Amino acid sequence: MIDLKQMAFERKRTMALLGAASVLKGLAIIMQALFFVWIVDGVFIKGDSFNTIIPLLGGLSGAIMLRGACGYMLGRTGVQLAAEIKSELRKRLIRSFAANPLQAAAQGQSGKKVSLLMDSVDEVDGFFSKYMPQIMQTYTIPLMLLAVVFYQHWVTGVIILITAPFIPVFMAIVGKRTKVKADEKMEQLGQFSGTFLDVLQGLTTLNLYGQANKQKQLIQKNSLAFRDATMGVLKSAFLSSLMLEYISMLSIGIIALEIGLRLVVFQNITFFTAFFMMLLVPDFFNMLKDFGSAFHTARGSMAAAKLLSMELGQEERKTEWGQEVLASEPPHIQLDGVAFQYGDGFALHPVQAEIPPHSQVAIIGKSGSGKTTLMHLIAGLLPPSAGTVKINGIPREEISEKSWFDQLSYISQNPYLFAGTIKENIIIGANREVTQEEVAEAAEKAGISELVASLKKGFDTEIGEAGRGLSGGEKQRIALARAFLKKPSVILFDEPTTGLDLQTERILQESMAELAKSSTVITIAHRLHTISRSDQIFFLSDGRLSAVGGHMELMDSHGPYREMVAVQQGGAAE
Amino acid sequence: MKELKHIFKLTIMEKKDVSLAVVFGFIAGIAGVALLASSGYLVSKAALTTQMTTLVVMAACLKLFGFVSALSRYAERLYSHRATFTMLSNLRVSFFEKLSPLAPNLFQRYRSGDLLARIVGDVESLQNFLLRVFYPPVVLAIVFSSTIFFASFFSAAIAVVLFTGFLLTVVVVPALFAWQKRKTASKTRASRAALSTEATEFLYGFRDLKIYQQLEQQEQQLHQLVDGYEKEQRNEGLWENYSQSINALAAMLISLIVLGLGAYFTAAGELEGLYLAMLVMLSLAVFENVTPMAVFPAYFEESRKAASRLDKVVEEPVQNKGEKNLQPGRIEITMKNVSYTYPQEERPALDGVSLRLPAGSKTAIVGPSGSGKSTLMQVLLHTIQADAGAVLVNGEDVHSFDQEKLWSRINAVLQENHFFFGTIRSNLAIASEEATDEQMEDVLEKVELGAFSLSMKVEEKGQNLSGGEKQRLAIARAMLKNEALWLLDEPVSSIDSMTAKAIYSCLFEQGREDTFVVISHDLTGLERMDQIIVMEQGRIVETGSYDDLMERRGYFYGLKQIEKSVFA
Repeated sequence: MIDLKQMAFERKRTMALLGAASVLKGLAIIMQALFFVWIVDGVFIKGDSFNTIIPLLGGLSGAIMLRGACGYMLGRTGVQLAAEIKSELRKRLIRSFAANPLQAAAQGQSGKKVSLLMDSVDEVDGFFSKYMPQIMQTYTIPLMLLAVVFYQHWVTGVIILITAPFIPVFMAIVGKRTKVKADEKMEQLGQFSGTFLDVLQGLTTLNLYGQANKQKQLIQKNSLAFRDATMGVLKSAFLSSLMLEYISMLSIGIIALEIGLRLVVFQNITFFTAFFMMLLVPDFFNMLKDFGSAFHTARGSMAAAKLLSMELGQEERKTEWGQEVLASEPPHIQLDGVAFQYGDGFALHPVQAEIPPHSQVAIIGKSGSGKTTLMHLIAGLLPPSAGTVKINGIPREEISEKSWFDQLSYISQNPYLFAGTIKENIIIGANREVTQEEVAEAAEKAGISELVASLKKGFDTEIGEAGRGLSGGEKQRIALARAFLKKPSVILFDEPTTGLDLQTERILQESMAELAKSSTVITIAHRLHTISRSDQIFFLSDGRLSAVGGHMELMDSHGPYREMVAVQQGGAAE
Repeated sequence: MKELKHIFKLTIMEKKDVSLAVVFGFIAGIAGVALLASSGYLVSKAALTTQMTTLVVMAACLKLFGFVSALSRYAERLYSHRATFTMLSNLRVSFFEKLSPLAPNLFQRYRSGDLLARIVGDVESLQNFLLRVFYPPVVLAIVFSSTIFFASFFSAAIAVVLFTGFLLTVVVVPALFAWQKRKTASKTRASRAALSTEATEFLYGFRDLKIYQQLEQQEQQLHQLVDGYEKEQRNEGLWENYSQSINALAAMLISLIVLGLGAYFTAAGELEGLYLAMLVMLSLAVFENVTPMAVFPAYFEESRKAASRLDKVVEEPVQNKGEKNLQPGRIEITMKNVSYTYPQEERPALDGVSLRLPAGSKTAIVGPSGSGKSTLMQVLLHTIQADAGAVLVNGEDVHSFDQEKLWSRINAVLQENHFFFGTIRSNLAIASEEATDEQMEDVLEKVELGAFSLSMKVEEKGQNLSGGEKQRLAIARAMLKNEALWLLDEPVSSIDSMTAKAIYSCLFEQGREDTFVVISHDLTGLERMDQIIVMEQGRIVETGSYDDLMERRGYFYGLKQIEKSVFA
């Protein structure tokens, strides 16, 4: 749980500075009122000449300067405090995103997480930049004003003491309602940003299906719902300041009446005291009012802090790693009853298998049979819910993360290309300093040299987010180039035939054969040539490993496999 | 200022709410001034008199002005905020409207994270336009002119000082800071967008980052961006605090001058001492209203920038939209010498392509990756417009058709099909709102997704579906639409051959009379196509039926030989 107040008070020096500035500001306010009254009283009642009040005017300008300087210091300290804490929160959030295993990264809407990182943290700002400086002032200045009021005219003090407590009471009542509403609003903000992104990304699809207009209405509907939600929160905030205004108005009214009575009827009070009270009392209530609005900001911040706490407090099944270092040669991989369960959805039942070094494994099965889950388990991207993956007889949990991933390349169906140059996207595989020659060589092997050569900027050509501007085959080849540069001893290869033309496929064939010379290759395969060439075939159906064996072996013994091959060959022979 | 014109228009569309907000804002302000001024006068008066009436008037005035001011303030806030949020809704819709026709090409240029940051962030920040930019000066001008008018009855000099104060705190200081802010050009937005974009990329590219052990480095980079954003935010905050402090100080000093002048005139006998306290209180009260002007420069600059950025996104040339409707019935397409080069790219994606797709014909387009097949498809879809050449639909220029009406006759399956956060049902309903559950289940059955229930959850971008499942769902969606022209871009590339074959059979059976264009990554099963178009580097290198091409022993034959050798 994130406690914003505690975070602030942990910074003792900052808080001390806020306290000191508040006390000085209180003094300045009192001095200012005093000088005002002295001057008016001097000229109006005592009939002083202008020359006698000149020093008073000087004192007044001094008080005003001090008040301004203190206000500046308070604001400045608040801004610094807010910036520091927001930065800390953002870093903690990023840490928590990074620590999540794969399933968490895909879970939910990424837009929501970005909004958490950006908007929710920004909402926390008000607590530190506005509320904390205000609360320090509220702790000190009204007390100082009250003391002066009591010293000058105790009856006014008593009236304040009776009426002022109504303010926190009302604030607590209204604030409670605001809190619930603010929570709702935060949720809606997150959802709204998620759906807005989703709609924008799908605009092409929407256009083709003539649904853009409908989405327009949906956006309007959502916007108006968002407006109403926000107005709901704001209304109670406005209402609370209206209440504050009423209470302070009532209080000032009573005080004015009391002073007036003494001034007019009993004539036992001076103009000096009366005017001084009339200046100080509104200031007293203004302080409380300012606190009220800062308090409202704080409510919003606290609602945001709760969302942040939820994200930061999320318990994740982490992938464990150890210290053992692997030699850089293809390891012996053993799957010992490895299983995985997605919440209460799809389950991969325990898998028992051996993958000797330098062997080639094809994982096959219909889509949705658990191929990718098995691959992620082997890769160490998912923690098994049961069983162990053993590398050279050592449980994967005891191997160092770096040592494992240094050995591994994962060429997925849709390799993620980052916004940057082609060169940067190839180098990302290496995790070390590489020369231009090495990059060029990897590109050559992956068959993208021609493409690169045809571009004016060559390797320095920028490719956009997710490799926009490149065809699927070109992306795949960049992923291959990454692998060539990395020289891994285990290659995980996901669906090699995805959306590729024959030439890229031929390059893939050759590249994979080349890469296989020095590594173990585990492939999620659709094509017969890949499958039949494998040393072992893992046949998955409905989350179970239903058969393991070589091509000939399965042809002889496994009916579903024979059937699948027959169809594939039938297709090829046409 | 011209950047804000559009926003201004959208704002004053909410005429009623805006004018009510101004009226109540004025009442609240002037009642507050009246309250303090009258209390100053009455305290002075009370000091000189023993009449009870003074007391009664005093109490009544205080109550009246106080309550009027508080209530008006409440109403003002309510109306101004409502107007703002309605304006925001209008803005989102108007922006979406402009964006929609540009969408197909847009992601080529902008990163979606950046787009999100722009649109959501900029739209949000424009909520401050009415509240803190447009309307405080308007209200203040009215409140001040009334107050100055009143003060001028007592002392012309004090009226002049008040007017000078008004100019200083409402006009000069805010304008000066706004100008300065513009000069130093706040980098906060840019650093925010950078952070938001990188964070989006971090989340989407998580797996590859993890495996390539770039997660930590990327995390470090994000930390730097966080620090950068913090620095900008801090600077902006400090700067804002500075301008606020300056404005508050200026207001207070003006009241000091009013007091000094008042005292001087009183001492000189030119002003009745009775009014001195009133004028001082009047000055203090009227400048209390100036507080919102302190944040004006920041919000003015922010609104201006946000508006100009939003404008920039949708600044793209709008395609000339035709009016014509595509008549029901079969569809024939002819392309003559079509060329196209993507913006900021060197290679032409299409280079003098001519072809004919007779009504009811089945055409396959094959060729290596990057040979222009998908671009050809985009031109057929009219989502991009050829730089040169002509595309004729049923003999008429494609530009003469209403784009949306054209799309309404096409069943398209793209390489990347978008699925929305929702359910299978909601994603299918995009194709046909009238479709019954039975019809939906029927098409799901045809693409062998019978195991999916219609109420199954679909995550953002269909992340919980495999590549093959997404393709099959996209085909199911097209089947549900069931129009006369099918444009399929590698529709079964992630689907195993057994299933793919079955799906094709269903498709050709359903669309026996329809025109089909299929971009295919493999060369099997092309015998049943009427024509095969072979592309390489943006050009058509061969056209013909399967038998023609095999007999000709050209490019296609070469590809086929590779395929055979691969399978052997």
